[in-house]
Amino acid sequence: MRNLPPLEAGGSEVSPTRAQESGVRRRILVAEARVPFARDGAELHAHALVAELRRRGHDAESVALPFHAHKSELLDQACAWRMLDLSSSNGRPIDLLIATRFPTWFARHPRKVAWVVHQHRPAYELFGTEYSDFTGSGDDGRLRQQIIDLDSRMLGECARIVTNAQNTANRLKRFNGIAARPLYHPPPIAERLREGAYGDYVLVVARLEPLKRVELVIRAMAHVPAPLRLIVVGEGSRRAALEREAAQSGAGDRIEFTGAVWGDAVAELYADALAVVYAPFDEDYGYVTLEAFLAAKPVITATDSGGPLEFVVDGTTGFVGDPDAGAIAVAINRLAADRSLAERLGRAGRSVAQRIGWDGVIEELVG
Amino acid sequence: MRSLRVLILEAQVPFVHGGAEILVRELTSALIARGHDAQVVSVPFRDYPKDELFAGAEAWRLLDVTKAAGHDVDLVIATKFPTYFARHPRKVLWLVHQHRAAYELCGTRFSDFAHSERDVALRRRLIETDTRMLRECVGHFTIAKTVSDRLLKYNTIESEALYNPPKLAGRLRSGPYGDYLLTVTRLEHVKRVDLAIDAFEKVASPVRLVIAGDGSARQALSEYIDRRGLRDRVTMLGRVDDNQLIELYSKCLAVLFAPYQEDYGYVTLESFLSRKPVITALDSGGTLEFVTDGVTGYVCDPTPDALSAAIDRLGADRALAAELGSRGYEVAQDISWDHVVERLVGASQAAETVGASA
Repeated sequence: MRNLPPLEAGGSEVSPTRAQESGVRRRILVAEARVPFARDGAELHAHALVAELRRRGHDAESVALPFHAHKSELLDQACAWRMLDLSSSNGRPIDLLIATRFPTWFARHPRKVAWVVHQHRPAYELFGTEYSDFTGSGDDGRLRQQIIDLDSRMLGECARIVTNAQNTANRLKRFNGIAARPLYHPPPIAERLREGAYGDYVLVVARLEPLKRVELVIRAMAHVPAPLRLIVVGEGSRRAALEREAAQSGAGDRIEFTGAVWGDAVAELYADALAVVYAPFDEDYGYVTLEAFLAAKPVITATDSGGPLEFVVDGTTGFVGDPDAGAIAVAINRLAADRSLAERLGRAGRSVAQRIGWDGVIEELVG
Repeated sequence: MRSLRVLILEAQVPFVHGGAEILVRELTSALIARGHDAQVVSVPFRDYPKDELFAGAEAWRLLDVTKAAGHDVDLVIATKFPTYFARHPRKVLWLVHQHRAAYELCGTRFSDFAHSERDVALRRRLIETDTRMLRECVGHFTIAKTVSDRLLKYNTIESEALYNPPKLAGRLRSGPYGDYLLTVTRLEHVKRVDLAIDAFEKVASPVRLVIAGDGSARQALSEYIDRRGLRDRVTMLGRVDDNQLIELYSKCLAVLFAPYQEDYGYVTLESFLSRKPVITALDSGGTLEFVTDGVTGYVCDPTPDALSAAIDRLGADRALAAELGSRGYEVAQDISWDHVVERLVGASQAAETVGASA
C-alpha cells in the first residue's frame, strides 16, 4: 500500500492568488481521523480539501489523529480529540477548524464547522446489520447511546454543519435531530479522468471490505457470457476470500484482481471500461459514481446503495436494481449487447458530474 | 531483515515547519526505502498556557497505536515531547528534545517557567512523568550528543546519539566563496539572530549578512536592523525554497550560526556539504559536535566582538574559508541513514527477542 504524497508546507505547488486579491486569507485546520496503513475515501476527502483551500490562497493544514474503529477505543479517542485546544498555534490564532468525521468534532475551537463525511457508522445506521460490531447487549446499547448523545452535543458546538451527501444529511436528521444540507465535491482524480473505448470489461473500484459487497459482482459474472471480463481494483481484508469466490464461480478466468491502483493508472482503467458496477450497502457519498461519470461510463448500482442513488437515475445514467447478482448480471448484459446505450448513459452521467465543483464548497465552508 | 510496520510519532505545531518535521519525514522515507512500511502519526501540540502541556501528553496516552487497519504495529518511534507518552510494547526513542522550556531553557530568557512555587512544581512533575514514560522505551537514542547529555542529566537515562544527514544532502554543491555570510534559521528568539546582527556593526571587511528563514520574530528583527542602521549590510529574505537555499549555500563565504543550545541543527551539516566553514558560539550546543575551532570553522564567545573577529579573518582570506569548508565536507560525509535505521530497528528486534525468550 502506498503512502499519500506529503502535503508541502505553505502550498508552494499552487499560486495563492484569489483569496489574497479579495483579502480573506485564513488559517484553517482540516481535522481528520486517520487509520494508519489504510487509505480510504475519507482520507482523500481531507487531503483534497486542504489542497483546494491552499489553491484559493488560504493557509491550510490537516490535523490527523490515528483512529481505531474497535468499539473499546471509541471514547478514549473522542477524549483525546477533546484534549486538543486548536484555537491557536505557536501564539497565533487559527481562524477555522473544519471537522470531517467522528471524533474530529470533539476538538475545541471557537469556530468549528462540520463537513460531515460520516459518523461512526457501526453505532448508527449499521447497528443491527452484519456490518456492526455493536451487539444487543446492555453495555453496547449504553455505549451506542453515549456516542450518539456526545456527537449531538459536539456537533451542536459547530457554527455550521453541512454533509458530503444527502444520505449523510438524512442520517444526521434521523439520529441526532440535526438539519444539514449536502455539499457535493468532485472526486480526487476528477482532472485525470477521460472517456476512452467502451471495451470488453466492467470495472469495480472499492476497498475490499464487507460493506462494499464486491461478491455480488463476482457472482453476477457467472451469468455474463464471455468475452466480457470483470476487473476489480482495490485492496482490503476480504481480498483472499473474494479471490477464492471468483475461482469457484465458473468465471474465474474472466475476473482479474489488480490490488490498489491510484491516479493515472486507475483513470486508464475507467477510460476503457464498458461500465462501472458500484453496489455497496448504504454508502455515504461514494467517489466511484462520479469518477465513472467523469469517464462517461454508466453506473450499475442497487436500491439500497445509499449515496450513489443521488446521482444514478435508472435508465438515464445507469441502472438501479435489486442488490443481488441476478439483477447486476441483467444490467451488464444489456450494456454488453448495446454499446451505444452504454455511451449514451455514460455521457448523460458526465454532464451530471461536471456540474460539481470546488468553488461553491469552499465558499460555503469558509465564508 | 523482516519488513516491519512502523509508526513514527510526531508532535505537530500547526503552521510551523522546522527541522523536526523534516527529520520525521526523512526518517519515514529512509524506512520505506529499506523495505519497511512506515507512516507518520501526528498529534497537534500546544505549549501554552502551561497547563495544556499535560492535556497534549494525555491525548497521546489515550490513543492506541499498537494496531492499525487490522494488523499489529511492530514498532513505534517517539521523537519529542509528548510523543513518548504513547503506549506500545516496542516503543523506541529517537529523542529530538523534551519540552525545552522546562528543561535546559528554564532560568533563561527563552523559558516561560518562572521561579514561582507553581511553576517549580509543574516543572518537577513534568520531568518526573517524562522519566517514567521515557523508561518505557525499549531503546534510547537521540539526534545529537547534546540531547543525550540532557537526557542523562535530567532523566538519568543513558542513550546513544544517532546523527542523520540533512534533507538537502546529495543536492548541495560548492561554489565561489562570495561576499556574504549566510544565516539559515527560523526567526525565533532562541536562534539569537540579533547576536549575528550585532556582530555586523563591528565587521571591518566588505562582507554582508544574508538571513534566510521566517518566524515570529521577523518583524522585530527587521526593525532591529533599521535601528542599528544596518539595512545596507544585513538582508532578510524570509522563507526561501530548496533551490534558492542550495544556491545561497553554494555562493556564501561562510555560514554564521550561533543559536543558544541548539539540539542538532541541520545548518551545520548543510554548510559543510557545501564546503563552507561555520562560525558558531561556545554555547550553541549541537553545532559544536561538528565544528572544531580553527579546523572546520570558528567557535567563539557569544559576543559581537568575537563573532566579528572570526568573520573578518575569513573575509580577509578566502583560501582559508575554502580550506576549512573542505575539511567540514569530510566530516559531514560520514553521516548516513543506513546506520540510523539499523540501530532503531535493531533495538526493537532485540526487545522482541528478549520478550520471546522470557
